[in-house]
Amino acid sequence: MTALVSLAGVTFTYAGAARPALSGVSLDVTAGEIVLVGGAAGAGASTLLLVATGLAPRLVGGRLTGARTVAARRCGIVFARPWTQLTGLCSTVLDEVAFGPASAGAPRDEVLAAASRALDRLGVAHLARRDPAHLSGGELQRVVVAAALALDPDLLALDDPAAELDPAAADALYAMLPSLAATGTAILLATPDVRRAAGVATRAIVLERGAVVADGRPAAVLPVTEVGALARAAGCPVPYPYDVPALLARVAPDASRRAHDTSDAPPAGSGPDTSGTIR
Amino acid sequence: MIGYVEGRSPLHRAHPYTTLTLAGAVLFAAFAMTEPFTVWLLVLAGAALAATGGVLRSSARTALILSLPIWVLLFVLHGLLGGGARVAAGPLSLSATGVARALVLGGRVTAIVLSFLTALATTSPHRLVEAMTARGVPFGRTFLLASTLTVLPRMRERATRILEAQQCRGLRLGGSVAARVRALGPLALPLILGALAEVDEQVLALDVRGAAAADRRTALDPPADTAVQRMVRWSLLVLVAAAYAWKFIRMRG
Amino acid sequence: MSGYDLRIESVSYAYGDVEALRGISLAIGAGESVALIGRNGAGKTTLTRLLVALLRPAAGRVAVGDWDVAGKRPDEMARRVGYVFQHADHQLFARSVREDVAFGSRRLGRREGPVSEVFEELGLAEYADVHPYDVPAPVRKLVALAGVLAMEPGVLILDEPTAGLDRPQRELAVAALRRRTGSGVTVLVVSHDLGFVAETAGRVVVMEAGRIAADRPARSFLYDAGALASLALRPPAAVEIGAALKLPGAPIRFQEVAAAMRGVRWKEISE
Repeated sequence: MTALVSLAGVTFTYAGAARPALSGVSLDVTAGEIVLVGGAAGAGASTLLLVATGLAPRLVGGRLTGARTVAARRCGIVFARPWTQLTGLCSTVLDEVAFGPASAGAPRDEVLAAASRALDRLGVAHLARRDPAHLSGGELQRVVVAAALALDPDLLALDDPAAELDPAAADALYAMLPSLAATGTAILLATPDVRRAAGVATRAIVLERGAVVADGRPAAVLPVTEVGALARAAGCPVPYPYDVPALLARVAPDASRRAHDTSDAPPAGSGPDTSGTIR
Repeated sequence: MIGYVEGRSPLHRAHPYTTLTLAGAVLFAAFAMTEPFTVWLLVLAGAALAATGGVLRSSARTALILSLPIWVLLFVLHGLLGGGARVAAGPLSLSATGVARALVLGGRVTAIVLSFLTALATTSPHRLVEAMTARGVPFGRTFLLASTLTVLPRMRERATRILEAQQCRGLRLGGSVAARVRALGPLALPLILGALAEVDEQVLALDVRGAAAADRRTALDPPADTAVQRMVRWSLLVLVAAAYAWKFIRMRG
Repeated sequence: MSGYDLRIESVSYAYGDVEALRGISLAIGAGESVALIGRNGAGKTTLTRLLVALLRPAAGRVAVGDWDVAGKRPDEMARRVGYVFQHADHQLFARSVREDVAFGSRRLGRREGPVSEVFEELGLAEYADVHPYDVPAPVRKLVALAGVLAMEPGVLILDEPTAGLDRPQRELAVAALRRRTGSGVTVLVVSHDLGFVAETAGRVVVMEAGRIAADRPARSFLYDAGALASLALRPPAAVEIGAALKLPGAPIRFQEVAAAMRGVRWKEISE
């Protein structure tokens, strides 16, 4: 399968910066992948998203060396703060989401149809007539993602998309990503929320000071999550599980030797149902 | 105080170009007028405009506040310190021509401020953008203009939040002039840098959605324009031109 | 340094026609660590703003220690209460991170010592001379936190302190808060991050539609799946594991759960 974005030995330095933000990064992203770009804050994940979508150095300035081939027809990008991604000039959500197709000069009917489709995909069609200025963070971020999707991008970059959202809204946003990828969109995801992201990512790369230090399956490659650290502290052998279902699956059947001691145990029926998936 | 206020007045419903032309006409006409009487007719026209827009009270109040410093300056400069024949007004000795001059200059400022506040209050940025898009104006320019219209309320809201955060770090508001000047740093920098950072993000987000596209944007809901309004706009331009012609003729003669 | 107790007595507040707080009363003892939980619009932020005199109650009384907040300005309250807002970008302005962290404590005329200590504590040493807007966004949050901690307040109020932080950064924040609680500082945290709540809070106050819906120990709240579900919250991983494995003692903190799991046997799996 041809790569939608192909980077070979790309080094990118912001204007006036002392050291490069990306060093010798090679990466191919193909349709339908959900690639998690991990790494500590400042390691270059956001920059990688800007370079992959072609926004750097074009709009951001700086110098790029190495080979970059972008086969994607169109890219979309979503940032963490919902309200800074609005035009600020649209009085309804529908108009805001229609901004992309309208800019392409399509006929009015097509524009509104594309916008409605995008709203449906995000499950926010009921917000079409609302004023974006009065929406909650979670609703607004979904509108922003719909706005990015309205132009049917081949590649969608998400930079910490759930940072401003409450847990339920964050879960809903991440839960939507696999179905999006299933339609062929490639997704590049940068976030410190490893737990949620690892649950949907098909692949993970880890950046350290701008260089790729790992690239592979999320469970294998990502730094130990809190759950993994817990397992490690409790004596679990490698590889460490990265979320609760994975941990529970690793526990041998007769493990909890004090399972019948109910004197301090939590009240019956109070435990959450872990039989389903977390995502 | 300054900025769009929702409403259903004739001005709100008019085509944005009409509202702006009205304000612009007052602006240019004000400079064509040289007598206190005519200038103040314009001020009355501005007030009538504000009343039509349903924003007379707020616009008048803001206009007065904004033009007050200028009035004081003009009064001192021309009224008290002007030359020519003097007139006694209570304990003060005023220059007659100076007072007349102050009335003209001050009246101009008031008329202009009043009409622009009215235009701002009755022109929805959204409708203005749609109107400009329908006329084929590139998005960059419409965005620039419309963002300028909304910048003040956004900045004010941001400034409030910044001041709260700084107060909670021990910054005292008010106090001596020196203290107030010192307080500007902790306010101005986050205000400007934060706004710039947000603009950075906004530019990137809008760019991928085609803000910089060369194609002509589709207007989704262009405001209705009527033949009557077009006629009104052209008539205003003609009137303003006539006012200037009159002014030059009088200056020559 | 010791903390102050917080007393909110029959307080009401409305934004125009909208009632944000309806005659609520809440008492937090000096040195307690409390998490304030609730949906958006429940009144949590209104409550915290009343404590620092950013708002004046329409009815009732708010007190921090022996100070009646009614007679104080926010900059005066800053002597006792350190408020960390949700968005750090609203306050960072100095030329360097170090200068910004020192700003608050300088305002209060405090000594230099705490600034350097807090610097190290939150791992900001490498950013000391960098302009605040040139550091990554999550680090800016830590800078804002550092600035408030350097003021050595007797009360800490934090609004979503961990949003956007990665795991190592969260651990720094948890450690910093525990250290303050250990030395008697009163802590009030507004947060959706129940893992963070588990690590730092002993008591949870749930707000709903301007009233206090529940006020209970953190342990019993976090193990109450029904209560969490009704707030559209999920238990933190440690609690999910504790409940699924029926670990004794209802452990909620990382160390507690790890200790309780000592007897667990693990399946080996090949990669």
